[in-house]
Amino acid sequence: MMCLSIWSDRTHGNTISDESFLMRVTLLIAWREYMENVKTKGFWIGVLLVPIVFFLIFHVSSRLATATPTRYYLLIDQSGEYAAAVETAIRREHQRRVMLDFMRYLQENRVDVDAASIRAEPAAQLNQLLDNFDNDEVAALDEWLASGGLDYALTMAQPYLRDDAPEFTEPRPQFVAAPLPPGVNPDADAQTVVGQLRPYLNGERRIDVAGDQVSLFALILIPADVDQDIVRPATIQGLMAPDSGPRGVQYWAGNLTDTRLSGAIQNSINSAIRQQEYASQGIDIAAVRNVQRTRLPLSRLDPGKAAGEEAVSLADTFRQWAPMGFVYLIFISLMQSVQYLLSNTIEEKSNRIIEVLLASVTPGELMMGKLLGIGITGITTILAWIGSFFVFIRLYQTVETAMIVQILDVLLSSDLIPYFIFYYLCCYALYAGIFLAIGSLCNTLKEAQSLMMPLMAVLVVPILTMSFIAQDPNGTLARVMSWIPLFTPFTMMNRAAAQPPMFDIVGTTVVLVISTAAVLWLSGRVFRQGILRSGQPPRIIELWRMLRRSAS
Amino acid sequence: MSTPVLELTDVTKRYGDFTAVNKINISIPQGSVYGFLGPNGAGKTTTIRMILDILRPDEGQIQVLGATSAMSVRDRIGYLPEEKGLYKKMKVWAIIAYFATLKGMGRREAKDKAFALLAKYGLSDFANASVESLSKGMGQKVQVLSSIAHEPELVILDEPFSGLDPVNQEVLEQLIRDLSANGQTVIFSTHVMQHAERLCERLLLITQGSKVFDGTVDEARAIIPRRIVLETRDDISPIRCLNGVLSVQEHAVDDESRLPGTRQWELYVKEQTDPQLILQHCFESGVSLSRFDFTQASLHDVFVHLVGQDAREHNFR
Repeated sequence: MMCLSIWSDRTHGNTISDESFLMRVTLLIAWREYMENVKTKGFWIGVLLVPIVFFLIFHVSSRLATATPTRYYLLIDQSGEYAAAVETAIRREHQRRVMLDFMRYLQENRVDVDAASIRAEPAAQLNQLLDNFDNDEVAALDEWLASGGLDYALTMAQPYLRDDAPEFTEPRPQFVAAPLPPGVNPDADAQTVVGQLRPYLNGERRIDVAGDQVSLFALILIPADVDQDIVRPATIQGLMAPDSGPRGVQYWAGNLTDTRLSGAIQNSINSAIRQQEYASQGIDIAAVRNVQRTRLPLSRLDPGKAAGEEAVSLADTFRQWAPMGFVYLIFISLMQSVQYLLSNTIEEKSNRIIEVLLASVTPGELMMGKLLGIGITGITTILAWIGSFFVFIRLYQTVETAMIVQILDVLLSSDLIPYFIFYYLCCYALYAGIFLAIGSLCNTLKEAQSLMMPLMAVLVVPILTMSFIAQDPNGTLARVMSWIPLFTPFTMMNRAAAQPPMFDIVGTTVVLVISTAAVLWLSGRVFRQGILRSGQPPRIIELWRMLRRSAS
Repeated sequence: MSTPVLELTDVTKRYGDFTAVNKINISIPQGSVYGFLGPNGAGKTTTIRMILDILRPDEGQIQVLGATSAMSVRDRIGYLPEEKGLYKKMKVWAIIAYFATLKGMGRREAKDKAFALLAKYGLSDFANASVESLSKGMGQKVQVLSSIAHEPELVILDEPFSGLDPVNQEVLEQLIRDLSANGQTVIFSTHVMQHAERLCERLLLITQGSKVFDGTVDEARAIIPRRIVLETRDDISPIRCLNGVLSVQEHAVDDESRLPGTRQWELYVKEQTDPQLILQHCFESGVSLSRFDFTQASLHDVFVHLVGQDAREHNFR
C-alpha cells in the first residue's frame, strides 16, 4: 500500500482513480509474473529438488549401507591367547548388526507401529526386548545372544508381526576370516610376517577364498610377546618418551576410515585382558560385570514447562533446533526469489518491454505486482516442499519417519509457525525491495551481479552465525544482530524457540517493519528512475541525485 | 470543432543543460492521422514519452483525452515504443491479450480479440507460437497488434515502420487507415517521408527539440517552391524573365545520349503558377525542349530543406 500512495499523484484529475483498478492491474502483473515463473525449468528444479533429496537420503543411503562389501581379514595370533576373544568380538559385532536390523524390522512391521503404545505395555517379552534395547544396547545384546539370537527372536515376534510383513533377511557377515596365503609362515617374527603380507594389504596380490580372489582388508597381528606391551597405570611415564610407546596388537589396513573392525578388536582384547587381571587379583568377574552394568539415568528437564511435563523429549530437543531449519528455509527461498526478481526485471529492461508497461501501469503498480507475483512463487515452492515432505512420510513409514511425524505434531502446534510466516514475509519484502531496485538499475545480469556482491556478503552472515545463535539464543551476538534490520528476520527466527525477552521481540519487530517500509519506499523511487535508464549502472552519487530528482 | 484529442502547450524538457524538447505546441483533432517527423535525436521519443506521462515535462501543459495525465486515461491510449520488445517466452496470443487486460479489457474478451486480430493480419498460424520463435518483423507486427487490441481512442506509434519489409509496411499502412476510419486518432513518428505523405493529414516537424512545421501535408509541400526541369540547346532568357519564375539554376548534363550543347535548367516557380503557361511560352518563344518535367515538392524535399542543415551538423557532432 505504501508504494501505491507514492504514485497516487499521477492519477489526479482523472477517469481512473478507483483503488480497484490499481489493484486489478497489480494483480494482473502478479499473475503473469507467477505464471511465467512457474513455467520455467528453474522453478521445477527448485520444487523437485527437495523430494529427490529426501528420496536419496532415505532410500539410497539405506541401500548403500547394506551394500557394504564383505571385508576379509587375517588374524595371526602368535601369543595364542587372544584369537578366541577377537573371533568372538567379530561374531558379536555381526550379531549386533543382526539385532539392530531385527529391531528395526520389528518396529516397522509390528501390528501397532505407534512407539508410545510399545512402552505402554512393557510386560510382554517382546516389549521387554525393545525396552532393553533402547536403554542398554550391551545388555540387550547379551540377552539376545543368551536367549538364542535371531531364531529365538523370530519365533517370539511371529504373533506380533503384521500379516503383510516381509520376510526378515539376515544381513551378511561383514568381516570374514581369510585363510593364510601359501608361503607365509605365521610363526616368523612380526616384521617378516608383515613384509610377506604387505603385497596383499596393498592390493597388489589377492587371496584365494574358496575359489574367489579377494583382497585382504586387514591383518591383525598379535605378537608372541604382546603381554609385555600391556599398559598399566604405573607405566604411563614411559609413554611420554617419544617413539618408545608399545605397539601392542598390530592392526594393518589400507582403509583408515572404516574403524569398526579395529574398534571391535581393541574392545574385545582389552576386555579379555581385564578379565585376566581381575582373575589374577582375585576379583569375582561376574560381580564386576554386574557392577559395570549398573547405571543411573539422567533426566533432562525443562524449567519452562508445566509441572509433571518437565521431561525433555526428543521432540523438545528438536523444537530447540527447528528454528535453524526455518532460517535455512527463509534463506533458500529468498535466494530463489532473488533470481526471479533480478532476471525478470532485467529482461523487461533489456527487451524494452518496460516502456510499453509504463504506458499502461505506474512504476508503483509494476513493482507491487512483481513483489507479489514472485512472493507467491516463493511460497508455492515452500508449500510444494512441505507437501512433498508429507507425501513422503506417508509413503515411507519407517522408524525414522514415524519419529518425524511426532516431531511435526509438536512443531505445528508450537508458536514457531507464526514466527516463521511473519519473518518470512518481512525478510522477503525487505530484500526483494533492494534487489528490485538493483534490477532496475542494470541492463544485464552481469552488471547486477557486481552490485549484488555486497548484499550477498551480508546475507551469508546469518547463515554463518546460525549455529552460534542457536546455542546461545539470548546472548550478546544474538541480541545485537536482532537489532540490525537486515539480520532481524533470520536472527529472531533463530531465537524464536528460546523465548527471547518481550522487549527484543516488540522492539526489533517495530524496527524491522519501519525499515521494510522505508526500503520499499526508497526502492520505489530508485525503481521509478532506474527503470527507464539505459547504459551503465549509476554510481552512488548519481543514485543520490536520482532519488532527489524523483523526490522533487 | 470538438475538443482536441491531444493538446501540448509550451512543453519543454531539459536534461541538465541540454534542452531535449523546447516549447512545443500542438493540437490534434479526433480521428486524424498525425505524423511526427524529425531527424534522429530531434526529441520525438521524448515528446511521446511526455505525452504518455512516462516522463514529466519541466514546463508546459499536456492535455490527453481531456485529462492532464495520460496515466488516468491509460486504458484509452495505445502505445508502440521505438525500441520494440516482448516477453520472449510468452505465446503470441497471450502477450496481446495480456497487454489488453492491463488496459482494462476482460480476460475472455482480450483473448478473443487477440485471435481476431491475428487472423485479420495474417498471423493466425503463429497464435500459439512463443514470441522468441518469431522473426523481428513478425514480432513487431505482434507488438503493434498488442498496442491496439484494447481499441484505444488514441494510438501512438513510435517508428512503427522501421524493420518491416515493404509488404508488411503496406499492411501496417492499411492498419493505420483502418484505425482512422474507425474514428481512432493515430500519431506516428517516422523518418520515412513516403509513409507520412501517404497517411498523414497533418504533421509536425521538429528538429533539435523545436517545432519547425505544424500543418497539413499540402501546406508542407507549399513551403518549397514548385520546381520545373527543362533541357534545351536554346537560350532560355525569354522564360527566365517570366512572371512567376522565382529563380533559375543550371545543371550539367551527363547523359551521353543528349545532343551536344544540351543544357539542363531548374526553375523554381511560385505556388500559383501553372506549368502549362510556361510550356506554352516555350513554344511561343521558339525554345525547343528535349525534356520538360514538372514535379511537386515531396515531403522528403521539405524535410531536407527544413532540417537538412541541422541534421547533418547533428550527425557530425
